[in-house]
Parts: sequence; C-alpha cells; structure tokens
Amino acid sequence: MKQVQANANEAKNLLSVDCLVLRRGNTTVLNGVSLHINSGEIYGLLGPNGAGKSTAIAAITGLLPFTGGQIRVFGQDLIDSTQAVRRHIGVLPEDAGFYSWMTAPAYLTFYARLFDSNHSPDKIGGLLDLVGLDPSSRQLIGAFSRGMKQRLGLARALVADPRLLILDEPTNGLDPRGRRDIHDVLLHLAAEGVAILMCSHILDDIDRLCSAFGIIVKGETVASGTREDLLSKAAQGARYEIFLEAGDGKELAAVPGVTIASHEGNRVEVSLAAWHRPHETWARLLEAGWPVSEIRKYGTGLEDFYLSVTDTDINQERAA
Amino acid sequence: MSPQWLIARKEAGELLLSGRGLAWLLGASLAMSAFALLLVSSTELSLLDNAQVVYDMLGIATALAALLAMVVGIDAIGGERERNTLIPLLLTPLRRNQIITGKMASIVIAWVALFVVALPYIWSVASTGQNLGAGLLVTVVLGTPVILTFGYYGMWLGAGMAQLVSAYVVGLLTLMVAASPLLLGPALRQSVIGRIFDAINPFSAAVNAYDAVVIDSMSLLSQWPGFIAAFLWLGLTFLLARSRIRHLTV
Repeated sequence: MKQVQANANEAKNLLSVDCLVLRRGNTTVLNGVSLHINSGEIYGLLGPNGAGKSTAIAAITGLLPFTGGQIRVFGQDLIDSTQAVRRHIGVLPEDAGFYSWMTAPAYLTFYARLFDSNHSPDKIGGLLDLVGLDPSSRQLIGAFSRGMKQRLGLARALVADPRLLILDEPTNGLDPRGRRDIHDVLLHLAAEGVAILMCSHILDDIDRLCSAFGIIVKGETVASGTREDLLSKAAQGARYEIFLEAGDGKELAAVPGVTIASHEGNRVEVSLAAWHRPHETWARLLEAGWPVSEIRKYGTGLEDFYLSVTDTDINQERAA
Repeated sequence: MSPQWLIARKEAGELLLSGRGLAWLLGASLAMSAFALLLVSSTELSLLDNAQVVYDMLGIATALAALLAMVVGIDAIGGERERNTLIPLLLTPLRRNQIITGKMASIVIAWVALFVVALPYIWSVASTGQNLGAGLLVTVVLGTPVILTFGYYGMWLGAGMAQLVSAYVVGLLTLMVAASPLLLGPALRQSVIGRIFDAINPFSAAVNAYDAVVIDSMSLLSQWPGFIAAFLWLGLTFLLARSRIRHLTV
C-alpha cells in the first residue's frame, strides 16, 4: 500500500529539487535550492539578478554538475537517468540561439527527429500555429525578430510533447500581445497536465500564471510555497498610502494597529499590524472623522512580498 | 535516420550550402588552380619529375583539408557555443558521443567534397599518370586519419578555449608547424631534430607515405608504421576531444 502511495506521489510530483548545492572553485553558486512541482502546476522561480536562477535551471536540466542535494525528475534520480528524462523535458534557455540559415519548419523538424518524436508537417505546423508563427512562411530564422525567435524557442521546447517544461524568461522580447499569447499557451498546457517551471523578472507573468513560486536569493531558496500561502504572509506586511484632505498625518500613529513608515504633508505611508484587517481599520478611521480622501495599496501583493524578502537580504548585507 | 546522421547532414548542409562553405571550396579550388598553373607554366617547375608534382599536389590537398577540418571542428563546438546554439543540442536526449560522431561525420563529408574538387587538379598535373592511382589511394588511406585528427583537435580547442579567436589562432599555428615538412628541405628533415619531429608529427606520417608510394613507387603496405602513427594520433585526439566535450559546461 505504501509503495502504491509512493508511486502515486511520484506520478504527481514531476520535479523535486532538494537542497541543491553547486560550487565552482571556491565560489558557492547555489547553496540550498529546493522546489517541488506537480503535474499541471506552473511554478515561478524569482530572484534578483545573479541570484542563481539560471544556474539552478542549468543544473536541473543536467547541463551543470551539482555538488550536493538531489534532483528527481518523474521520480527518477537525474544523475542516473539524464538522457531518459530529457526525452520528456522541454527547455527554453535564456538567450537561446538558432540556426539562422534554416526555416522555422525545418528547424523544428530537425529537433523533433533528434527527440525521435512525431515530425509530420501537420504536427510542426500545429506547433508553429500554437506559438503564433506562420507555418507556411519560408522566411529564414536569421530574419526573425527577437519576439519571433522567442516564440520559435517555445515551439522547440514543445516539439517532443514534454511532461515538464522549463522556461527561462519566456516572455523576453515579446510585446504585450505576444506576452498574453504565451500566457494563454502556458495556461492551456498546464490544464493538460504539463508541469511548468518558469523563471521571470516580470512579476506580472508570475502573478498571472503561477500557482506556486519560490524566491532565490544568493543561491538559496528564501521563500517557497503556493501562491495563496505566500501572499497571505505578504498581506500581513502590506503598506498603504493614505491621503488626507486636511490635518497632520503624523497623528495617524495614534490609531490602533497603524504604524507610520513615512509622512510628507497630507500623504502618509503606513503599515498595519498583522492582526488588523485593512477594511475594518479604514472604516474605523472614517467613523472617527479622519478626513481621508484616498487610500492606495502599494503595488501587487507579490511585488510587496518579493521586495520584502529580497530587501531583507540586501539590508543585512549592507549592515554587515 | 540515426541522430548522428541527422547532425552530420545538418552540419554538412550548413557548411557546403552556405556562403561560407562555398567560399571555402572556391578558395581551395583557386589555391589548387594557382599551384597547378605554376607547375605547368613555370620553366623550372615544369621540369620537375611528374611523380614529384603529384606528391606536391596531394600534400597541398591534404593540408587544405586538414585546415578545413580543424576550422570546422573548432566551429562545431566553440562556434556553436558562442552563437548559443550548442545548449539546445546538449538538451536533447542524445549522448555527447553521438553529438561528436555526428559532427565528425560532417567533417568527413567536407573532406570528401574537397577531395572531389581536388581530383581534376591532381589529374591535370599527373599527365603521364605515373603512380596516380596509388597516390590517390594513399591519400585516402593515410590522409583521411590525419585530416580527422585535425578535426578532433579543432573540437578539443573549441570546447576548451573561452575565446573562439584564440582557438583559431592556436589551431592555425599548430597546423602550420605540423604541415611544415611540406616546405622544409631534405637536409633539415634529415637532421636529428627533423627526424624526431617527423617521428611524432601526424602530418609527416602522411606526407612521408605519399613520398614513398608516389615518388619511390613503394607499396602501400610498406607504409604500415605511418599508418599506425596516423591512427594513434587519431585515437589520441578523439579521446581528448571526447573528454573535454563530455565535461563541457555552459
């Protein structure tokens, strides 16, 4: 019974990374990266520049040997079965290159054959259509725009019908329409059970697509979990801007649960104690006769959370 | 179709059908044209023994092919890495040995193409046909491993050096030194240093065999030491290239 349960978990959990450590010479590039992605889940990997996101992806895809920890893909140890699991992984690396002298259909056919996958013209045309490229075009890849290359890179990642998709900055170079198209493709794939790991600097992408995410700072996972869990923690530390029609904003400090972060004339920046619900606090302010003209929440919840997690680390570094 | 053959076909297509590849073949063709013209039009050179002329032409074809193999080898790894096209290839289910074999097969195709281009020139200077057949055979049997040696050497350089330009410079210098027996006089080659250099130089293994078979009319089988030396170099460079490419990180 336990074996059956374990197999069921493995079937659901397509990628498990535990305490990944990677050293290059005397430098520790990754020092405890962990993440778990289930079938049909889109997991966002966030972090400042140089945090180790792309290195983590290189290790997960078997391009970089790691020094500690474990990576299990489809329940199999990556080190023991790199070639076997790669058949079912689609990867879009950051700054992927293309054979500029080929056409897009020829390029995809070449990769489909390397994966020993279906390379019929219908399949290739369908993939190009899916990512928004013209299947009948004879244009050489060398003449493609950056956005078109990004779409082609995604099509290449999908060429072998992967169960796990790993995307490094998938919406780089895309216009707003292109980004929305790629979002739709990824949501469609997730609905079909494909697990997706994506790195992005665009918080809106993560916010819109990911059901779970993790944040890496200096090669270490500092936060990881489902979107709901992490954002509920983020909400506790949320900041608000309050605009008063009259009076001195400093006096707001007398309101229970309100802490003033800064104030400038009639504009006050405050945070709420974790046990105070925002809408109840605002109602009490109005009942008490505070001349409030506007209350704004800072950014998105994800942005607040991301900044608070990464700021803490940067501040600690500065203090040291 | 095997993945190795897919890679070979892709690489050979890129090499032979692109402007760069056609420029290579045109350049090789011009070099051999110029040399052939010199041999038949120069008063002094036209007095050369016919076998000597065939030997020189085979040596030049081999040197050009070794240069082509080395450049293609460097570009196959280092060039692809610089253009960011190597990573998608490494992310396929192929083993790195398969990738190396595919890329080497494209070098073989390039060598065949260059050999075909060289054939009319060799035939044109070998007017009496003296030892022409034996010369072509020894080029195929002994020239091929030497040319592939430089292909693997190019891959090794391309995988190991961070800068593509550095790989080309080092490769070119090595080839110039290795191919120097084509230019050195007999006295220098008979010196102690010349003999040691000849013994360890893969290029010498080929040209000495060309000399023996084409000029001295010796049998191909008598050239077995050169054959062994050429294949030892081929094996060594293959192992070096394979080791570097297997441990190649991005």
